[in-house]
Order: sequence, then C-alpha cells, then structure tokens
Amino acid sequence: MTAPRVGQEAIAVTTALAAAWVAFAVLVWLYGESPLVVARLLFDGTWGTAYGAGQVIFKATPLLCTGVAVFVGLRAGLFNIGGEGQLAIASLAVGIAGHLGFVGALPSFVAVPLLIAVAAVAGGAWALVPAMLRARFGAHEVIGTIMMNRVADSLVGALLGGGLAVAGSVRTADIAPSAHMARLDAVVPALRGSAASTAVFVALVLAVAAAWGFRRTRVGREVVLIGKNPVACEAVHIPVRRRIATALVLSGSAAGLASAGTVLGYKGYFEMGLGAGAGFGGIAVALLGRSSAVGLILAALFFGTLQQGGLAINGHVPREVMNVLEGVVILAVSLSDADVRRTFTRGVVGA
Amino acid sequence: MSGAGQVVGTLATETVRVTVPYACAALAGVWSEKSGVVNIALEGMLLASALAAVVAEVATGSAVVGVMAAIAVGGGIGAAHAWLVRREVDAIVSGIALNLVAMGGTRFILRALYGSSSNSPAVPGFQGIFAGSSSLLALVVDTLTNPLTLLAVALLFVTRFALTETRLGIRVRAAGEDGAAAASLGLDVPRLRLAAVSLGGCIAGVGGAALAYDQHQFQSGMSGGRGFIALAAVIVSGWRPGRAVLACAAFALLDASQIVFQGQSRVSRDLVTALPYLATLASLAVIGSRSARRTS
Amino acid sequence: MSSTDASGLALRLARIDKRFGELQAVRRGELEVRTRLIHAVVGENGAGKSTLLKIAAGIIAADGGDVWVGGELQASYDARRAQTLGVAMVQQHFALFGSLSALENIMLGAEETRGAGFLDRARGRSRAEGVLASLGVELDLDRKVATFGVGDKQRLEIARALYRDARVVILDEPTAVLTPLESTALYATLRRLADDGRAVVVVTHHLDEVEAHADVVTVMRRGETLGTRAVERGTAAVGLLAAEIVGGEPLPELHAQHEPSARPRVEGQPALVKLEVKGLTLGRALRGVSLEVLAGEIVGVAGVLGNGQSELALVLGGLAVPDDGEVLAGAIEVVHEDRQTAGLVLDATVAENLALGDLTRFTRRGLIDDDALATSARERIARFDIRPPDPGALARALSGGNQQKIVLARALAREPAVLVVAHPTRGVDLVAARAIHQQILAAAARGTAVLVIGADLGELRLLCDRILVMLRGRVVASLPPTADDATLGAAMLGREAAA
Repeated sequence: MTAPRVGQEAIAVTTALAAAWVAFAVLVWLYGESPLVVARLLFDGTWGTAYGAGQVIFKATPLLCTGVAVFVGLRAGLFNIGGEGQLAIASLAVGIAGHLGFVGALPSFVAVPLLIAVAAVAGGAWALVPAMLRARFGAHEVIGTIMMNRVADSLVGALLGGGLAVAGSVRTADIAPSAHMARLDAVVPALRGSAASTAVFVALVLAVAAAWGFRRTRVGREVVLIGKNPVACEAVHIPVRRRIATALVLSGSAAGLASAGTVLGYKGYFEMGLGAGAGFGGIAVALLGRSSAVGLILAALFFGTLQQGGLAINGHVPREVMNVLEGVVILAVSLSDADVRRTFTRGVVGA
Repeated sequence: MSGAGQVVGTLATETVRVTVPYACAALAGVWSEKSGVVNIALEGMLLASALAAVVAEVATGSAVVGVMAAIAVGGGIGAAHAWLVRREVDAIVSGIALNLVAMGGTRFILRALYGSSSNSPAVPGFQGIFAGSSSLLALVVDTLTNPLTLLAVALLFVTRFALTETRLGIRVRAAGEDGAAAASLGLDVPRLRLAAVSLGGCIAGVGGAALAYDQHQFQSGMSGGRGFIALAAVIVSGWRPGRAVLACAAFALLDASQIVFQGQSRVSRDLVTALPYLATLASLAVIGSRSARRTS
Repeated sequence: MSSTDASGLALRLARIDKRFGELQAVRRGELEVRTRLIHAVVGENGAGKSTLLKIAAGIIAADGGDVWVGGELQASYDARRAQTLGVAMVQQHFALFGSLSALENIMLGAEETRGAGFLDRARGRSRAEGVLASLGVELDLDRKVATFGVGDKQRLEIARALYRDARVVILDEPTAVLTPLESTALYATLRRLADDGRAVVVVTHHLDEVEAHADVVTVMRRGETLGTRAVERGTAAVGLLAAEIVGGEPLPELHAQHEPSARPRVEGQPALVKLEVKGLTLGRALRGVSLEVLAGEIVGVAGVLGNGQSELALVLGGLAVPDDGEVLAGAIEVVHEDRQTAGLVLDATVAENLALGDLTRFTRRGLIDDDALATSARERIARFDIRPPDPGALARALSGGNQQKIVLARALAREPAVLVVAHPTRGVDLVAARAIHQQILAAAARGTAVLVIGADLGELRLLCDRILVMLRGRVVASLPPTADDATLGAAMLGREAAA
C-alpha cells in the first residue's frame, strides 16, 4: 500500500474505534452506570481471563467467515447481505448431515472435512438464487439476499417443524461424535471451558485464501476488475455475469462455513437461531477490516470482543448495547473513508 | 350471521388492521425512492417509532401524544438516513446500520425504562367505541374508525396527490430521476431528498404507532420483518403508491389468514409467511433492472 | 432586476480558475458577453469551454475569480442564483426528465403555483404555449419527454430557458445532434433571440458555424481565454482562427475540406472482404444495416448522432445481440466511444488495462505473472508513446489522449482482422490525436479492415476511403471523402443535395 492509503486506513479505523467508545460511554452513562467501571468489566470478561479470550475467539470465528463473505462480494462490486440466511441453511444442512448414519462410521479426519464441504455447498447454494437473478436479469442482489434471508427463516422453521427436529424441540439430532471439531481447550488447557474450537483455523485459512485469491489468481484479478468497471470488462469479453455469479456463490459458501464454529465446534446440533446476527456482524467486520486478511481477522476479533463483552456486562448494562455499537462502527467507518463512500452499489431496481 | 360470513368478516377486518403498518412503511419507501434514496431502514423506522409511541403514552397518558412521538422518531430516522447519504455513505450501508441501531437501541431503552427485556407496560392506545365487545359488527366498526387506519388511508391519497400535483412532488421526482440535472436547474437536491425521506419516515412513524397500539404494548422486535415485507411490496408494485398499498394488503391477507385459521400445521404456516418474499424474488426476475438509480 | 448595465454587458467572467484534481481546466479565464450578439466560444476538445460556461451558468463553482451579472459582482453564485438573474444554459447532456411531461419539464424549478404549493398547470401551460409560439416550435406538452427525439428535446431545453425569461442563453455544442439544415434553423432562432435583446453564447468547435453565424468569438486553448474579437468572414480568417486554437502553424490536414485521402495504398493485393454486415436489425435503432469493408480499407460512418451508429458499434463489439441479420468477419476489435465507461478500468493500472481481457496470456497455472505483465506493458507503452510511461500508474491519472492510446493499443495488440473505432479522438488533445490517426492508418496499411464511426467530418475525410452515411438505422449513402458539406448534409437528412 502507498503511504496515503495507509494513512487513510488508519484514520478510518481510529475514527471507528473512537466513535464506538463514545457511543458506549454515552449509553452506559445514560443507563446509570459508570463507563469506566463497565469497560473494566468488559475487559475482564473478555481478554482479562483465558476463558474470556477463548470465548472471544469462539464468537469471532463465525464473524470472520461472514466477514470474508461480505468482503468477497464487495470485491466483485456486490453487496451480499444474505449472510444470515446462508449460514442458517448451511447450519441446518450440517446438523442433518452430521447425524447421518454413514457419517458416524467415518473417521474424524474424513467426516469433518466432509461436513465443512457440506457447509460450503449449502451456503453457496442458498446464494445461488440471488446470483442467478443478478446474472440473468440484472436484479439487485441486495434485495435478493434480503428476501432469501427471510425465506431461510421460513424454510428452517418449516423443516424443523415438519420432522427434521427432535420431537418436542426446535433442534436437530446430535451429530456423530466423529463429526465434532475439537475444542481448543483440549490443546490449550488455559482456555478451559471456552467454546473456541479448531473451527477458528478454518476461518483463518478462509480469510487468507480469499485475500490471496484476489491478488494472485487470474479469476480473482478479473473479479476485482469487474468490481471496478463491469462495462469495460464486458467490452473485452470477460464473462462478467459468470464471474459475478461465481463471486456471489463463493460469498455464500464463506458465510456457510460459519456453521463450522457453531454446529461442529460448539453445540453439536443445529437449533433455531443458532448463529443469528453473525450475518449482519459480518458486514461490520468487512467494512472495518478493509481489504486485507489481517484487517478482517482483527475486525472479527474486535466484534467478537464486543459480543462476548456484552454477555459479561449484561448484568449491568443490556447487551444490546453491542448492536448499537455495531451500527455506530459501520457508520463511523463509512463516514470517514472515501473509498467505502464511493458507491459500490447501483441502487436497487427502480421504476 | 352465518359461519362463512363471520369468517370472511373477521378476515377482512384483520387484514385491514394488519395492513396499516405495512402500508405506512411502504409509503415511506415510495417517498424515499422517488427522491432517489434507497431506503432499507423501514424496519428500524417501524420498530423505533413503535417504542416511541408507547413510551410517550406511558409518560403522558395520551395516545395522541404517542402518535406524535412516533411520527417524530420516524421522521428523525429518515432525516438521519438522508443526512448520511448526503455525506456519501452508501444508502444500503446506512439502512443496515440504522436498523442495527434501532434494534439494539429499542431493547436497550426498553430495559432502561421498564426493566424488562421483552415487554413494555400496557397502553390503551385508541380504544374503539365498542371495545370489549366480541361481536363482529363491533370489530368492523372499531377497525374502520380507528384513527390510525383513517390516517393511513389519508396518507395514501396525500402521497399520490402530492407527487403529481404539487411543486414539492414534481421536484422530488426530478431529483430522484437525475440529481445532477436537477441541480443544474437550480433545485436544492439534498434538501429535497431530506424532505422526502423524512416525510416518509413520519408516515412510517404512524405505522409504528399503529403496530404498538394494536398490541397495546411494545414487544421486543415487534416489527418482525414487516419493514422488509413493505420493501417487498414497494418493489413488486414498481414504486407506485397505490399499488404498493394493494400489495401490502395482499401480504396482510396472508398474515390475517394465519391468525384466523389457526391450528394449521407449522409447515404450511411457514410457507405462507415466505410467500411475500418469494413473490418479490419472482418479480425481480420480471422487473430485472429497468433502471439504475444512484444517490447522487 | 436589470440584467445588463448601460453598455449592454450582460455577463462578465474575470480571472476564473477551476481545477479538477490534477487537471487545471480553466486558468485566468476572461469572458465578456454582451446583449444583441451571438458570441461563439471556440477551442478544441478539452480546452475548457464547457467548464467556463458552466461556471457562467452557476452549475459549477469556480475556484477563484469573479462573476458579474448585469454589472453586479456576485458574491455567491450558484445555479439557483443564475436562474433568478436570467442566465440559462442548454447543456450537452440535456437536463430533462424522461418520466415527466414536456410541460412539467418546462415548468420545473420555476413552477406556477396556486395556494400552498399546488401546481397551476393551466397558467403554466398558457405561458409555455406562448414561448413555443415565439420560437415557432410545436410540441405536445403532455407527452413524456422520454418519447421525444433529440431535436425536440433540444427545442424543449431552449423553450425552458425562455420560459424562465433568460436574458443570457448559453448553448453547449448544440449542433452535435443536428443535421446541417437543422443547425441553420437553430442559428436563425438564436439570431431572433439576440435581436430580442438577449445575449446568446454558443460553445462550439465547428468553425464554419462561427464564420457563418456568430458576431464575436473567443478562443480558448488549454484552459486559457485568448481574447475576444469580431468574427471575420472568409476562409483565410477561419484558417487564422484555427491556428490560434491549435497554437502554432495552421495544420491544414485537420481542417481541410477537400483534402483527398493521402494514404499509401497496399498495392497489388486482391480486394478481400474482411467485414461483411448484412441486414443487421436491432429494435428500432438498426433497421437493416448492410456494409462491407475490404482488407486495408478505411470506411467511415457519418451521420447525425443517434441514428444507430452507437448500436452498430455495440453489435460489432458483441455487446448487443441483433434481432436479425448477420456479421461475417474474423476477429473484430472495437474501440468504443466512451473510453471511461466501456474502454478502461480507471482504478486499475495501465498494465492491467493493456491486458484487459487477455490475462490468460500472463497466467501460469492459474496464477498471474506480474513481471510478464509489466514487461509486455512497457513494450506497448513505448510503441504507442503512452505517457507517463509507468505500467503501475492508475489509468485514471492519464490524460484523455493517453487513455485513448491504451484502448487502441490493446485492440491492435490482438492483431484483429477488423478494427472498429468510434469517435477516436473525442476529448483528445491534438498531438495525441495525430498519433492515433497514424496508428489507424498503419493498421490499415497492414491489411486490417478499419471502420471509423465518427461525427467529425474533417476526421472522416482525412482517414477514409469511403464515407457511409447512416440515417434512421440504415446506411443511406456511400460518398467519397471529397464530397462537400452540402452533399453530406443532404445525405444525413435523407434528401438529394440542392442542385
């Protein structure tokens, strides 16, 4: 990066963090608590203990996946806000697949990658409809993905209610033992009790691979060029529609991978609402994380800290404060940064 | 009254009742889009204004003050959105952020004021003349004479009239079609957009009040996706106010039929819930990309 | 409010500066516009004419300098203020709204209202009808503007300026969309406006128009105004004007009317048809276009903009699928008319733009070889003299001429059988334009069949062996480059030239 770019990034991030702090302090103070005291509690509940740190990693894992999902879309000039639906569908698929008989018979080093693949395919499949609508009809993917989010809600509810759930509950049956992703505290005892799992490595690899792919592969380069000017690319016969559809589907796959952390690495089954909020959180991660793998990882850790911290301070201040902070950070980054401001959407379908 | 008549009557009034918040949000979407600003913050507008109505009525005891508060909050969110867009924040990003702030903010305030994270105290709202009666006639009369219902209908006609027959309306449409050209003619495009989006927000506020008063309290997350249904209605109808409200009524009918025909299996209920969204997806294929709008 | 002072000075710009990023568009610009005169502002593409006049109309704010309207210095000047003071501009890209009716467009911004902001259509209509009558124009006021043709839209724009009782009427390149006959009619209207006591300013790069119709002319070159003087009639005077625009020795080949094509011919080669278009149909834009280009031949396509030329380029470039007809050719490369939209990815590097669509050549096992990319870029930069010669520079930073060279270099590098160039030197400075012409001629000399779609008759005369004329989606004439304006103009209108 050139010097001015670095400076611009730094300003955007600093502004965002400052705005988050101000918003936090104001809200806490309005609630009648001391911002510094609550902030201390937040720190203690997150990075202050090994358990807290582990929980942060646990929360950050799906956020990194959905953050990569939004990032992949943005590179192509797309806005995938369907992370919620893509991850819900993928989680359901993984929950079902993980319970299948033949999966239980497989050794772990086969079962886990298989299920990860299922997650990716399911998430990508859910993005296929908006991708096709965009490729074939030019319909705006923002509306398409929003609608698919709501349809996912209904579909998941219908499937669970229609027999896929364990009787009397809204969850799927347990996945086979071999399908679980090991908890990190098995390897790092200090993180005892926390829900962080090896899924975090999946997320890390995903982030690095995505950033690298755009830089070094031909298809990735073309996607970036398309994101900057699709018309010029079309004029030289780059298959723009195909690349855009591919990008959107891959974006959905990335979002689907978030289920590795929630289903495979934590609950061991899927239940309604598992992972909710990660889709929108991914937008915040992508915007704050800018365009580098490191940025995305740090942003995911930041929001993971906020989410875990919210739980830690819930006795003093409602944890919904963190949703507000998410929104504030998104706005702060957007306001302070010209690049993000340069519109990447055409605007929705208009009359 | 015969059983079938009873059912139809109940269905019809339920539909009218449920349409009001949808329609108000849809009109907000229309005003915004006509001025050239994409607005997906309809959900947040409904939710925040619903809370405002309840908080104001609890504080003052007056349902009318509650409606005014809802209008103010809805308009305020609209103004914030327009301001952000003017500062070159992408309209979609702004909408998502405002929705997040509304979602978190309403729960925060709910806990802060009433100590509960799910419900507010009960409020009477606008009681009908025949409140408490269970006869169908009473239900019909109360629904049709509900001030917010009447207000919503009036706002529909006001919107249609304003967009075609007033100076503001025609300037807003010009700003929405081509902001640069409008500016070169001396129009104050940012101010026009601010006016349109805020006005829309005020209308959405009426819908939020209706939503809250209908349940006689504020419940966490009570907008329940209605803002997105309204968005769907607006798209499906091609941003025409009258048709958008009709689409809202159609979607409301689906909702109402769920309420009336209870005991349906979970599966068909979920399918019915998904219909508006599936319809929108289908219409996207038809509408395609008729025109590209930008917020500049 | 009086819009002129005692001496008839309606508008004055002094020491105007305007910069867009790296580009100093206007430098110490000076302009004095008087009533009862048709004032032409001339200069080549990119000289700053549009910018200066947009500042005069308040559409753009100057970085420095003064704007005087009616003898009063304007402290803060914007489009709204300009309108109040009676300054109106008809821009190149019309400020019309397709979804509104003609009447609504005319009224917009100066609406008649009754009561609390309700439109008074009746009053507006009678006023608009009055204006149209004074212009001698008939338009259906209730039709949506999207359905109007280009000529009518321009008339509507002028009508709107009069509806607002403009005392200073500025038109930016008005004849780009008109046939020669319509241009004459336009100037007759402008003369009427001037006789009425208004000030008329026309921005143009057509010197023959200036010589025929304007009273005074201001020359602009590279953002500077070089003074204003009365227009003299006669070819010699035009030549001097041209020299002033270019800033050096008169360059006859760019302004000659009857220069025969001086290209070296490819001798002794059989006439191979490289591009054959038969009965091409596309909606209402193309209604059966047929043409042929031989190897080594340069064929021009002239015609008023909007008669299908753009669509022809789109079909040949594979960006639009025709309803009927066929295109028989080997490899076709198209340089589209709008390089910033359809030619370049402005935020990508020069190297990436040079290789756009061709990245497979620099791919090894799916990965991009950046070194090979840079090397190839450097070679092409040298061959086409692209400046600055930095493969890593962003395309956005280059001048229009150099940007165009990138697009052309990319097209030629693929050694196509057929090269189609649309408006090759639009917005390109003179030196770059010459270089681009050289490249086109060289391509033809190598046997490439070249189709030049252009609006500039001078350029077509310089380059082409034959000039085709398109009208309403068909090729209606094939003329030699030596054909005169009257013949070409008549063909563009679809009539026989007056004997």
